[in-house]
Amino acid sequence: MALPKLQCITHALKNLSLLSHPDQRALVCVNQVRAMSRVKRRHTVPPFWLPKTTRTMYPEHMTPENEVFLKDVIEEKYSSPLKTECWERGTWAKNSMRCGLIGRKIGIYPMWTKDGTRLLTTLLQVSDNQVIKYIKPEDIVQGKRKRYRELGALVIGADHIDPRIVTKEYYSVFSEAGVMPKKKMSKFLITPNAKLSPGTPLYASHFQPGHYVDIAGITIDRGFQGVMKRWGFKGMPASHGVTKSHRRGGNIGSGGDKARVLLGTKMPGHMGRERRILRGLKVWRINTQHNVIWVHGPAVPGGVGSYVYIYDSVLPDHRHTQENHPPFPTCFQDEEEVEEELYDQELHTFREPSVQFVEK
Amino acid sequence: MLTSRVAAALPRLLPCTRPYHKKALTNTAVKQKRSQLFTQEAQRQAALITDIEKIEVQYDGQPENCTLIMNKGMSTPYNCAQHINQMMMERSVLAEVDGQVWDMHRPLEDNCTLRFLHFRQSDPYYANKAFWRSASVMLGAVLESSFKDNLYVELCSYPSPNVRSGSFVYDVDLKIPEWEPSKEELRTLSGEMVKLSLAAHRFERLEVDASVALKMFADNRFKTQQIPQMAAQSTSGNTVVVYRIGDFVEVSRGPMMAGTSHLGKVSIVAVHPIETNEAQLFRVQGVALPRGFLLNHFAYGVLEKRAQQMNSGRLPLNISSTEPQTQASTL
Repeated sequence: MALPKLQCITHALKNLSLLSHPDQRALVCVNQVRAMSRVKRRHTVPPFWLPKTTRTMYPEHMTPENEVFLKDVIEEKYSSPLKTECWERGTWAKNSMRCGLIGRKIGIYPMWTKDGTRLLTTLLQVSDNQVIKYIKPEDIVQGKRKRYRELGALVIGADHIDPRIVTKEYYSVFSEAGVMPKKKMSKFLITPNAKLSPGTPLYASHFQPGHYVDIAGITIDRGFQGVMKRWGFKGMPASHGVTKSHRRGGNIGSGGDKARVLLGTKMPGHMGRERRILRGLKVWRINTQHNVIWVHGPAVPGGVGSYVYIYDSVLPDHRHTQENHPPFPTCFQDEEEVEEELYDQELHTFREPSVQFVEK
Repeated sequence: MLTSRVAAALPRLLPCTRPYHKKALTNTAVKQKRSQLFTQEAQRQAALITDIEKIEVQYDGQPENCTLIMNKGMSTPYNCAQHINQMMMERSVLAEVDGQVWDMHRPLEDNCTLRFLHFRQSDPYYANKAFWRSASVMLGAVLESSFKDNLYVELCSYPSPNVRSGSFVYDVDLKIPEWEPSKEELRTLSGEMVKLSLAAHRFERLEVDASVALKMFADNRFKTQQIPQMAAQSTSGNTVVVYRIGDFVEVSRGPMMAGTSHLGKVSIVAVHPIETNEAQLFRVQGVALPRGFLLNHFAYGVLEKRAQQMNSGRLPLNISSTEPQTQASTL
């Protein structure tokens, strides 16, 4: 009751015969029942099981020559001219799930479609994403939810940090993969055919314009907020005799048999800093040089500079098909040539001639 | 049919039929013996000084230059430091007596000038060398005490200290054909080094006659070869210097650091087999930093990786070699 529950809705497919086969049934989690009573929202310390990322810095009195030498060692260690060890690459099949990316929200820009419609897009930068570990389906910790297909997981890391400032415990997580320590890590559930070897770099070209993504992120921390901002209460008039109750919650109980405040009554409290998933955002544009993705809308959870987790959309209308699936298991940008700017067909690019209207 | 009395008299005449068990040599027993002989010799040498004579020691350094009146043949530079300052006591690794490098616990002979050497001065060349040499000796101590009793470990020697080689070294005869230590075993050895450092033993120095040294190291076939060579090269012609830390005794020439507490971060990183005519030796390698020197794990890992490479120091001489030995391998 305390934690938010996800209501799983089985979507009725057009072809009803497919519903009978459990493997082909699509499980879509769309509604999130927000029951946040008795849940501590603000945590000032991270959980005890999380390893400390950075260590206490102390003066080492290293000579300048040694500093230069260590920088060279780090550069040499993490930039091998050899190709990364490659496992067998899987091929796309129906109900395949590939990994997502970890991006950073860097801003909001307007874009225009070819018929002149203005829309807002959020820019997400995918910076230094690399596969750190592949977890086989047997090793996945099975939760309470029953799975109808075998799923493995890929641990992806983003944004590397200097190996000298991290703790030894945290550093050991990356030493097996031979990658530089990362600031952010996340686990993405995948079907085994989408597995990638540790050390594989991931770029924004993993997604393609015209496809749809789901974005998970931590919403902006708004602090302790009143009922009007938090729950959208109407409040009371500013004048006409209203005494001291302009933005308050008003009545909180029903009385009679239920002579108590019911559980879940909307009241002022901490708002924001929660994990939310926004579904079905269209990818409008991708820049492969700077690894930036333009997604639809300004409402990506989190503020500018915060990390988001980008997945292929699970919505049934935007599922991939044999004809229009993105590069599987990922786009190997080091091996193939990719254009610098990729646009959706409907998007107006400013290099083209301006939108023309026929005067009636 | 003989009575028991007669039977008791007979064994001297008749060959013995009972099996005779020779007491097996163990490292613990040998170490105890050496330590006892060291104590005896130290007491004997101390008893030779019947009259306490005074000497003037001119101290140059922090916090101020001064003249100390010390006891001839008894006072050490460490005692001088005790008179001066706690920082000098704890920080000093070596002493410089009349321009010559001197152990901190070696008695002063005559009027002299005194300076202290430590790791953080602008050119700590002698301190570094002493540190590396002492680390080798401590490694020897650890190797002698870490193995099971049924293995009699014989320490061979260590090459001249060379910090630039990346590791300090001890060559040892383990009497097993091969040994590839696991990570846990190397960590155990490193732990023993740390324990030795925490025990804060002094490097007690003693100049003994070659015969006494040979008696101490009678159970080590390598040392019995090396001691006469070292004695021949000494100034007097027949003395060698022995050092003791705790209950481990080692014969060596060069100055050692003041005590084991100067050893800070230490790792034993590799064991390389060395083939010689007589025995299968093992070159045990490690790397260390003096106490108080802080270094992040990544940079220290770079040092450890470098120390794993086979040390280029001189390999121990074959004990069956017939060539004339001009220079002893142990310094």
